[in-house]
Amino acid sequence: MVFVQQKLKKLVVSALAGMMTAVFSMNLAVSAEEHYDVYNYDRWSEAIPSQAGYLASHSVSGLDLGIGDFSKPSDIFRDAYDQFFIVDTGNNRIVVTNSDLTEAVTIMEEFYYEDGTATTLKDPEGIYVSPETDLIYIADYNNSRVLVCDYEGNVTMEITKPESDLFSQELTFLPQRVLADKAGNVYVVLGNITTGAAMFNSDGEFQGYYGANTVEATSQVIINHFWNLISTEKMRSKSSRSVPTGITSFDLDDEGFIYTCTQSTSQKTDTVKKLNPAGKNLFSNIGVTWGDFESLYDVSTNRSYQSMICDIEVADDGNINCLDLTSGRVFQYDKEGNLLFIFGSTSEQLGGFTEVSAIESIGGKIMVADSRKNYITVFEETDFGSIVHEATNLYNGGYYEEALDPWYKVLQYDGNYRRAFLGISAALLVEGDYEGSMKYAKLADSPYRYNRAFEGWRTEFLSAHLTEITIIISVMAVGGIVLYFYLKKRRKTAKSREEAEKV
Amino acid sequence: MMDLNNRQWVKHAVTHPFEGFEDMRWKKAGSMKYAIIIVLLWFVAAVFYNRLYGFQFYVSADKMFNVIPYIVRTIVLFLTWVVGNWAVCTLLDGEGTMRNIFVYSAYALIPYVASIYLDVFLSHFLIRDEFVFIEAINYIGLGWSVVLVFSAIKSVHQYSFLKTLGAIALTIAAMLIMLFLLVLLLSLLQQVYVFVYSIYTEIAYRLKV
Repeated sequence: MVFVQQKLKKLVVSALAGMMTAVFSMNLAVSAEEHYDVYNYDRWSEAIPSQAGYLASHSVSGLDLGIGDFSKPSDIFRDAYDQFFIVDTGNNRIVVTNSDLTEAVTIMEEFYYEDGTATTLKDPEGIYVSPETDLIYIADYNNSRVLVCDYEGNVTMEITKPESDLFSQELTFLPQRVLADKAGNVYVVLGNITTGAAMFNSDGEFQGYYGANTVEATSQVIINHFWNLISTEKMRSKSSRSVPTGITSFDLDDEGFIYTCTQSTSQKTDTVKKLNPAGKNLFSNIGVTWGDFESLYDVSTNRSYQSMICDIEVADDGNINCLDLTSGRVFQYDKEGNLLFIFGSTSEQLGGFTEVSAIESIGGKIMVADSRKNYITVFEETDFGSIVHEATNLYNGGYYEEALDPWYKVLQYDGNYRRAFLGISAALLVEGDYEGSMKYAKLADSPYRYNRAFEGWRTEFLSAHLTEITIIISVMAVGGIVLYFYLKKRRKTAKSREEAEKV
Repeated sequence: MMDLNNRQWVKHAVTHPFEGFEDMRWKKAGSMKYAIIIVLLWFVAAVFYNRLYGFQFYVSADKMFNVIPYIVRTIVLFLTWVVGNWAVCTLLDGEGTMRNIFVYSAYALIPYVASIYLDVFLSHFLIRDEFVFIEAINYIGLGWSVVLVFSAIKSVHQYSFLKTLGAIALTIAAMLIMLFLLVLLLSLLQQVYVFVYSIYTEIAYRLKV
């Protein structure tokens, strides 16, 4: 008896030890080091804990680069040679750094016209470097111009307030962001223009506006519209007009689509748009809520703050990074608008911000500039992040089967990651494993996917068991008919017997 | 003639939309037991519809399930209909007793309840493209039941066609009023409860101090 007990004890201990090693050998990087709760949204749009896709690795200030502190850095841009252009607004200069943000390559403060006279910047706010022409476009805010120059600082063009009927001369011309497409057209975001970005051709001539937001159909707007229908011209001139919020920032992807974002305290539609060359929003029907789903409630001020996307950046792999001014968070979406990661916060620690201004990425790194803290925070992709990116890129490229293994790995890190279930379901469907596909579609709560898998499963089942089914149906039909006649006959005999008894 | 047992009466009423209930009334047939079973089956069908429907058609919010709304939507709704109809039709020279209204209305529900079960069953074999079959069954069951309810009310009270229409409209109005009063009563009870409770805490506090 004692022997048996001992043996049992040994067994239990060894089993426990085995379990412990199994637990510890699952060496998965858990993001315990972040000072905020990492979360993502589930199928029912509720925030659930998740793994971190990015971790803040370090921050870079002007002192680190040995060029004196930054002052209100408001834009950061990566050119075709992986150099970073940091717009140092308060110091009226452009700082060009190497790709690791470790040293300043050049500092652009003075720019030279053809005749040799120099000009300086005054509160520049935005920058763009064209990969085709190597021209630098600077939105020189308080000089009311867009300065176009080459890498040596020789001014090739200056875009100032257009003298056009389309541009009201009473308005100031204060460029905040600038962009140039492959054809050399220049797009300028102006703070006081709500009809979209001002568009100039490659010679600097004003062409019109591009990519205006639409007015959100709130109840106020609808009521105003109703009154406008029945009021006179004089009354109408007194009433307030419904105008959309102007766009805040934009970026260009590799295919030439312009992505715009709009920072607004009230507007909920059109906060992020993907514009085709005709200015049509390709994201208008995908039903994505950009930024946080629910607004943040601040107890001290008794107000709720909704996400305000203040900068947008399209990474090389097509992922869209949106920067939220309200919460200091970065929302990363894939090119279809599926939310991948949320990271960042408002705090004093590394990875926290007070007033974010710009976002830029290189490979697995994301740089976020803070115009109040005067430094740039570098986020690095975690193992989890890189696996999710790999899986997402394969999946979005249509390589469902190749994405299968990465998706399984994603689930090892985060069993709540819904896109992984969808991805596995799609891959198994392609492979013809209908039952597996159905199982994962169910886990992902996707009736659409389940429907497709079920259709395949049903077809397969029917063709495999066609003979059995035919036999069962025919037997049942014949049996039913026989039973019917039998019962009828019995009833008849019973009745006749009853009648015979009565008689 | 018409010596049917209870089960046969159910079949007869459902398959004879114009004469079935008249015959039932003539023979004083109709079983309360069957009627209660039908209403309970309706309630079960409503729960099945939410919980056991084919996954390819829709996802129910699995985070929470509460059975109370289903009771309200089926059993309570049916009882309100019966009471409302009885209240209205007593004033309008109807001949139906409360029991008869209950039984006949329950019998009239059979096609609708059956269509729900059939839909739930079929939803496990069909795909989204074939949803039209489910929809068709649903509409047939509903339409049939509407005709039967009309016929049931008409025969139970011995009304003319137009008077039945009016009685049904008034019954729906009566149901709304009843539900309104019910909600009012509940909220008033809530207030009374809060009042009594606060008095109790006050006294308890005084006694302690």
